[in-house]
Amino acid sequence: MPKCLVCYKWTLDEQDIKIKSEDLSLDSSRAKGKISDFDRNAIEEAALLVEKNGGAVDALTYGTTTVKQSLKDCLSRGPEKVYWISDATAGNADASVTANVLAAAIRKMGQYDLILCGEGSSDQFNQQTASRIAALLGLPCVTFANKLSYEGETAKATRKLEDCQEEVSVKGPVVISVLSEINKPRIPSLKQVLGASKKPNEEIKVADLGLKPEDLQPKAVRKSVKGFVMQRKNVIYKESSAADNVAKLKASLASEGLC
Amino acid sequence: MNFELTEEQRLIGQSARDFGKEYLEPIAVELDAKGEFPKKVVQALAKHDFLGLLLPEDVGGAAAGFVSYVEVIEDLSRYSAAVASIVNNHTIAAYTIQKWGTADQKKKYLPGMAKGELLGGFAIYEHGPTPGVGPDTLVAKKQDVGYVLNGKKAFVRNAGEAGVYVVFATTDPALGAKALTAFLVKSDAIGVKVGEKLETMGLKGCPVADITFENVVLPETALLGAVNGGAAISATALAVASVAEAAQTVGIGQAAVEHAAAYAKQRVQFGKPVATLQAIQTLLAEVATDCHLARLGLRNAALLIEEGKPFEVEAAMIKSFLARLGSKMLIDTCQVEGGFGYSETMPLPRLFRDIAGTNLLDAPGDFPEKLIAASIA
Repeated sequence: MPKCLVCYKWTLDEQDIKIKSEDLSLDSSRAKGKISDFDRNAIEEAALLVEKNGGAVDALTYGTTTVKQSLKDCLSRGPEKVYWISDATAGNADASVTANVLAAAIRKMGQYDLILCGEGSSDQFNQQTASRIAALLGLPCVTFANKLSYEGETAKATRKLEDCQEEVSVKGPVVISVLSEINKPRIPSLKQVLGASKKPNEEIKVADLGLKPEDLQPKAVRKSVKGFVMQRKNVIYKESSAADNVAKLKASLASEGLC
Repeated sequence: MNFELTEEQRLIGQSARDFGKEYLEPIAVELDAKGEFPKKVVQALAKHDFLGLLLPEDVGGAAAGFVSYVEVIEDLSRYSAAVASIVNNHTIAAYTIQKWGTADQKKKYLPGMAKGELLGGFAIYEHGPTPGVGPDTLVAKKQDVGYVLNGKKAFVRNAGEAGVYVVFATTDPALGAKALTAFLVKSDAIGVKVGEKLETMGLKGCPVADITFENVVLPETALLGAVNGGAAISATALAVASVAEAAQTVGIGQAAVEHAAAYAKQRVQFGKPVATLQAIQTLLAEVATDCHLARLGLRNAALLIEEGKPFEVEAAMIKSFLARLGSKMLIDTCQVEGGFGYSETMPLPRLFRDIAGTNLLDAPGDFPEKLIAASIA
């Protein structure tokens, strides 16, 4: 019966983010929060494993003041308890800072057989959190998992790589990052939503994690973010014959190195 | 004062949107084309607790409250107003049993209704010289023990699929509405005959039919509320239903304006997307504004219902508001999409039919302005 921990990130819903036409900057003033997409798969996978094998699922998240908005959403999806770290450092944390904080929190929380993460977050998609946590905790790490099972004390995962699938067997504790295709996250029922209020949550303070100031200093600093807008060229070929139009199109594409 | 939904209400709305995207969006077009009752979807609705949303926990409900309910109806309606209508008609029957039923009636019907094993229907309308709620033709004749029903009810939603109907009949035709009485009638009671399914303009998939009652013998325990107390029950139940139907209208309008806005951003005329043209912006802005104001109004009415406060005037206001603006939302959004919007390859014609069904079928002879005027003059 595995004791599972899922690490998740509370991100802005990208569908609500507008691109300002004047300077391509992002307007997220009306954007709502959501549990990062792949992290929802990680929560679902942990919930499914525990439904099948018994055990328990906790969740852990690190974010700014808005992270508290995520707790009931998370708890409605299966975990019995959620630990949350709300700290201003999360605002500009890179993957290194995030992993330092999460790993320190996990050390404090106790041992887990499986620590699940999404392969990457919806906003930055650095794909580093799982492997960095594993390195900091001295645990094995399995990435790109699109199938997962647990027997005895062993996790069996299928890794989807660029040109092959790899079957991996690893004895826990282990850190595993999952792909979106591993499952379809559940739609919480109304009773699960309302029941989330009755489940416990616990705040962990960054100050209590024993981290040094440099552990909270991002090494990669984001200077700016700009939206990408696809510009139409509005080129219309008006030759009388279709063959001539196609020839012109082909030449145009070739001149841009597209064919 | 706070206009924000609570976290639970917001998450329940999110569940309804996710449900709509996963279960309703893929079937909405086929449902509209074929009009077949979506049994599997109804089972899935029950699994996610949507059919027992208003019912208390002791009968298996979610007890999520009326604000959550209108949020769910709006979000389901964005994807399929027909399915939302099935839920609405079931829920109003369950609500009526919960509010006026005896302990035995609640125990008998509500657990099955919460689980979706027993669908509810609400039989109030009649054909006749004055369309709408009618106390004239369905007569409940008192016997030594119980009643015998004879007559017909019209435009019953969920007809043929419901397992229990809340039926309104007169115990004395001479007294008219004063003798209106509510009964709980099981669909398998001898003498209950569901007529041919009515081909409707919209909300296809939510079955509508007349139900004939031929010497239907009912025990005393079938009586819902007091003898001749049906008018008060139906007035409250229909007012509650009108708030939910307003949410249905707003959901359809919201789906229409979102589709029209997306279309306007990609449709290029005069070298730029039509969304940049003032005339198009005006149409979109007006529909979005109507949706927003209607949503605030219906949430206010829903909160009054949830808190057990008088809500009938606010419910009448939102009904009157949407009676004027509901169909206009679709006319304006079709205008944005021009010829394509008129085409059946686009969703707007279906939404147009569904908004007409929502606004027209329910109490067509109703006059909400009377209640509003009475409250101020």
